[in-house]
Amino acid sequence: MDFSEAAERISRKFTKDGAALADKTKIEGKLKRLVQEFGVQPSEAERSVTNELAREHNMPLPGSNPGTPKSGGGTEEKKIADGVPGEWVTFEGKVVALSAPASPSIAQSGILADESGAIRFVAWAKANAPAMSEGAWYRIESGVVDEYKGVANLKIHSGTTIKEISEDRTLIPTPQPIKDLRPGIGSVRAKVVQEWDASHERMLQSGLVGDETGTIKFVIWKEPGRESLEVGGVYNIFYAQVDEFNGRLSLNLNGATILQEEGDIPVSGGEASFTGAIVHIAPGSGIIKRCPVEGCNRALSRQNYCPVHEIQPNFVYDLRLKGWLDDGVKTHSILIQRDAVEALTGINLEAAKEIAENNPLGMDEVFLQMREKVLGRYVTCKGREIDNRLLVNTCETKKFDSADHTRLLNTAGGAA
Amino acid sequence: MSMPARDMTRREGSFEREPARRVFAGELRECHYQFKDGEDEKSPTFVLLPTGERCNRIFIVGTLTEKTRQGEQNIFYRGRVVDPTGTFFVMAGSYQPEAMQQLAKIETPAFVAVVGKPNLYRKDEASAPMVSVRVESITVVDKDTRDLWVLDAAERTLDRINALRTGDSPDITKAKEQHPTLDPAVFHRMAYDALAQITM
Repeated sequence: MDFSEAAERISRKFTKDGAALADKTKIEGKLKRLVQEFGVQPSEAERSVTNELAREHNMPLPGSNPGTPKSGGGTEEKKIADGVPGEWVTFEGKVVALSAPASPSIAQSGILADESGAIRFVAWAKANAPAMSEGAWYRIESGVVDEYKGVANLKIHSGTTIKEISEDRTLIPTPQPIKDLRPGIGSVRAKVVQEWDASHERMLQSGLVGDETGTIKFVIWKEPGRESLEVGGVYNIFYAQVDEFNGRLSLNLNGATILQEEGDIPVSGGEASFTGAIVHIAPGSGIIKRCPVEGCNRALSRQNYCPVHEIQPNFVYDLRLKGWLDDGVKTHSILIQRDAVEALTGINLEAAKEIAENNPLGMDEVFLQMREKVLGRYVTCKGREIDNRLLVNTCETKKFDSADHTRLLNTAGGAA
Repeated sequence: MSMPARDMTRREGSFEREPARRVFAGELRECHYQFKDGEDEKSPTFVLLPTGERCNRIFIVGTLTEKTRQGEQNIFYRGRVVDPTGTFFVMAGSYQPEAMQQLAKIETPAFVAVVGKPNLYRKDEASAPMVSVRVESITVVDKDTRDLWVLDAAERTLDRINALRTGDSPDITKAKEQHPTLDPAVFHRMAYDALAQITM
């Protein structure tokens, strides 16, 4: 059996700038071994040797992205914003940030930007690429855009060439509205509206920043030279990493360029109002116990267990309703806070405590009584919408309006 | 085709609950087409309304006029919920223990709000399909809520009729195919009659 043809095919895939990356006779030997010693199908052997080489040279697996790598070796010059995972690309951009490599197999990592956008890059140690310096412009030929944790990422491997661009180009990043942020890299002009207690000892600061279009969580990890932001301060934040977790976005400001500016900007409170029927009341509604540790306030389990502060016998009672408000077209997740719960159900915290402590069903009885009073009712909920959930401050029962009735009778009567 | 690849990753994990459609008994009774959206075992099942909208869940408010307990080992409750246009057949079995307990407690007659899933079934091969509503929750409400629902259901029905007359979504096309002789004016008239029954 002749393997030279297959070996030739494979070796062609691993050629860059005329130089072969893999030895053809070695490839042939590997194929022969797989087929003759291990009884592997020739096509399967070819695939497995190709994949092995791809891993060795940090190139995308040819089979994993059918179509894309074939685009004529595809090192098209592109704008950074147009890079799609699975493509070979050539970018010209400025290194706007460098970060400490997360692993010894990474030589350098950071952020490359042009006027269209920015992308994280990783240069493998094996690639032997020249070190790039922050603030300089480079032409990066034949890099590979792939996806890591759902975010596009530029890989610099041994087939990539990097040329420094000596001419001085200006690059002024344009901030994006917060509501338009996508996982990847983003720049915003925003105000720090809230500061939260650090939930981890390595965390320097976390909180909420906002602009006219919305708010987003931010986090800064402890690192030499990193400073906390001032609450109420307005900042230009360039090239921050936008992460996604459970469908929620957050900004990681380590690696971002942050410039404070004078003045103030309006911040959207995410005010929203929905009218519809309450179609579901979720478990965890009614009377709940909260952790008394200052700044914690987490809901405790039935055994008075706080996920952070463990058993808390001196808990604090609170009322809330979690559920779904449905207008027949869209269903909104709602979380009704204590004042609104009291007004809506007519059961105040004192009365609820009384029931919880004296009724054989305890807290469940409060849940059941409240559910009976609100489920299936038409209400208007007003509050702030955060992460697709409406935090309800006021909730009013909808009243029958005879004007609505007349309007509908006219509409229905008109064309029948 | 350059940008979307990165956009695709946005909010993929976030969950959208199927909205509860407002539909009169008179329309729901006419449904005879049920389908699954997707191949998966857990893909949602929809009933296609003759006015061209799919529904996986409905919200109804009416009068519970009758309830009966059935079954020996597997107890379940059936009920009849009446609106101005006809009757909904609701049921709750041991797979919906909460809903069954709620239904068991209610004294008829009473105004009730029901959230549930419509299902098509046939008594046997030859008979016409029936629509029943598997209850997710049922609560006793007042007359005001019932009246609000009639307005709501009438408005949504009229909206659907408008879309049916002017639109061409796949669901609308399918509905016209399934109900070739349907005159939307029937449901228009039904909505008007329902509204006219509300007295000040």
